Amino acid sequence: MGVELKNIHFSYGRVKALNRITLALDEGAIGLLGPNGAGKTTLLKIMLGFLKPDQGDGQVLGYDLRKEQKFIRQLVGYMPEDECFIPGMDSVTFTAYMGELSGMPRQEAIKRAHEVLFYVGLGESRYRLVDTYSAGMKQRLKLAQALVHDPKLLFLDEPTANLDPGGRQEILELIGEIATVRGISVLICSHILADIESICDKVVIINKGEIAAVGRLEDLRMINYRLYELKIKGELENFRSNLEKAGCRVEETEDRIVKIYTPPDFNHLEIFRLAARNKLQVRQFVRSQSSLEDLFAKVVGVD
Amino acid sequence: MATIREKGYHHWEGQLLEKGRAFWPITRTGIKLAFQRKYFKFIFSGAFLPAVVYAAGIYISERLEDFKFMAQGAERTLQVDPGFFKSYLSLDFLFFMIILLMALGGAGLISDDFRHKAVQLYFARPITKLDYILGKAGVVVFFVGMLTLIPGLILLIIKLLFSGSFKFFLQYPWLIVSIIFYSILLMVFFTSFVLLLSSLSKNRRYVGVVIFALYILSDIAQGIIYVIFRSPYSALFSIKSNLKQVAAGFFMDKLPYAYPWYLSLIVLLVFCFLSYVVIKRKVRGVEVIR
Repeated sequence: MGVELKNIHFSYGRVKALNRITLALDEGAIGLLGPNGAGKTTLLKIMLGFLKPDQGDGQVLGYDLRKEQKFIRQLVGYMPEDECFIPGMDSVTFTAYMGELSGMPRQEAIKRAHEVLFYVGLGESRYRLVDTYSAGMKQRLKLAQALVHDPKLLFLDEPTANLDPGGRQEILELIGEIATVRGISVLICSHILADIESICDKVVIINKGEIAAVGRLEDLRMINYRLYELKIKGELENFRSNLEKAGCRVEETEDRIVKIYTPPDFNHLEIFRLAARNKLQVRQFVRSQSSLEDLFAKVVGVD
Repeated sequence: MATIREKGYHHWEGQLLEKGRAFWPITRTGIKLAFQRKYFKFIFSGAFLPAVVYAAGIYISERLEDFKFMAQGAERTLQVDPGFFKSYLSLDFLFFMIILLMALGGAGLISDDFRHKAVQLYFARPITKLDYILGKAGVVVFFVGMLTLIPGLILLIIKLLFSGSFKFFLQYPWLIVSIIFYSILLMVFFTSFVLLLSSLSKNRRYVGVVIFALYILSDIAQGIIYVIFRSPYSALFSIKSNLKQVAAGFFMDKLPYAYPWYLSLIVLLVFCFLSYVVIKRKVRGVEVIR
C-alpha cells in the first residue's frame, strides 16, 4: 500500500486527537478500527492532506504528506463517511465530474463513469438525479466516485453505513474483490467489526489517538491474549477480582458465560486454582477462538 | 477489432492530466447547473433587453434623418459618446438584473457544497483551494461578463459598423480600454459579493435573499447617512453609487457625487480583497471545530 507515518501528532485546539502515530502499511485490505472519537477519521484526513499534522511526517504511495498532497490525491480514492453529493446532477454527470476533477479528460471520464456505476450496481439508475437516491444508493455512488479515476489506494470511511443486509454484503464483496483481484489497496475505517473481519487480513486499532494494536488479524489473536470461556456455579465477584489481579480481563455475557482474556504467558491451570480457592464449580471450560470483537474489546477496553 | 471485456472492474489505461485548468470543469458545471434553475433562462434573456435597446439607439442615432419624425428633440439623448457606453454599463436595471440572476443562480455556488458536504469531495481530488475558488468565480464572471463586457464591445462594434468609419474610434481611443476595465471591475466585484455571501451560509435561499437585501440596504444606508451628515461621501456606503461613481471616472464623464472617483474604487477593491480572505478561510476540505 505504501503508507508510512512517523510520529504523527495532531490536536484540535487543546484536544489531542492523534498522539505518536507511527505506522507502516503494506498492500491489501487493511481495517482501521477504534471507538468513536478515537481519531480514525482524523488520521484519514491527515493522509489525504485535509489536515496538517502538528508534528511528524510521512509518505503515502511514495509522496510526502506535507508537500506532495496533490500527487497523493491523484492516486487515492476517498469515500467519505458523510452523505455528500452535488444536487441537480444525475449520477453519470456527478461521477464523470469527479473524474474530470481528478485530471481525466472529459470524454474518458464520462466513459469511465458508466463503467464504475455498473460495477457498483447503479447501472440502471445512472440517469436519475442524485437527489432522489436512497441512502444505500448514495453510498454506492460514493464508492463509484472514489473509483472513477482508477486509484492505487482507496480510503473508505464507513463504507457500509446505511445499507440493508443484502446491500451491505454486496458492497463488502465488491470491496473484497477490489482489494484482492483488482490490486487496489484498501484502507477501511469502520465501526462494524464484522465487516472488517470479513474483508481485511490486517487491522490497525486506534484508541484515544494512539495506536493500540497493529498487525495481521491471526497474529493479533494469537499474540495478544488467550480467551477462555467458562460456565461456573457460585459467586463471581471474588473470582473476578483475583483474576484481574493476575492480569486477566473478565467479562460475563447475558447467558452467564464468563469470558477470561489472559496474558500470553498465563498458565490456564491458575484459573482452576483460583476457582477452587473461591469455592466455585467450573462446569464448562473452553479455549475459544477469539473474534475481532473480542480483540477490540480487549485492546480498547470496552465491553 | 475491439476486444470484448468481461463485466466488472477494469483499470483505466489513460493518463491523468498533470497540469491543467482544474477550475474549468467547476465553472462549466456551475454554469450548466445555473441554467437548470427555474426561471433562470427567462431572466437571463430578459437581462439582455437594455443591450437590445441601446443597440437600437445606436442605429437610430446614425439614421437620425430617417427617424426624425419620432426622434424630435432626442438628438442629445441619442448622442453616442463615452457617456452612452457608461450609461449602459451603470444602468440601474442592469445591476438589478445581475443581482437577480446571482440571487437565483449564484447563491448556491458554495453554500450548496457546504450543505451537501461536497467540499470534501473536491479537495479529495488534486485541486487546490485557489482552483476551487476560481472555478466558482468563473460562473459569476461568465454571467456578469455576458451582460457587461460582451454587450459593451458589441455596442462599440455596432457603432463603428453603422457610422461606416473609424472616426469615433480615433476620437475616443481609450473607450475600448474603459469598457474592458470597467466590465472586469464589475465581474470582480459581483464575484466577490456573491461568493462571500455564498460562503457564509449553508442555505442558498437565505443567501439569495441576503444578496438582494444587502444591495438594497446599502442604498438605504446611503440615504440615511446623507440625511444625517449631508455629505456626498455617504455614497461610499452604497454598492450602486460606488459602481456609478467609478463608471463616471473610467469613462471620463461627469461624476455623480462630489468626491474623487478613486475613493469608490478603493472601497470596492478593499471589499473584494476582504471577501477573498474570508472565502479562503471558509472554504476547506474538513470542518475543524477548535
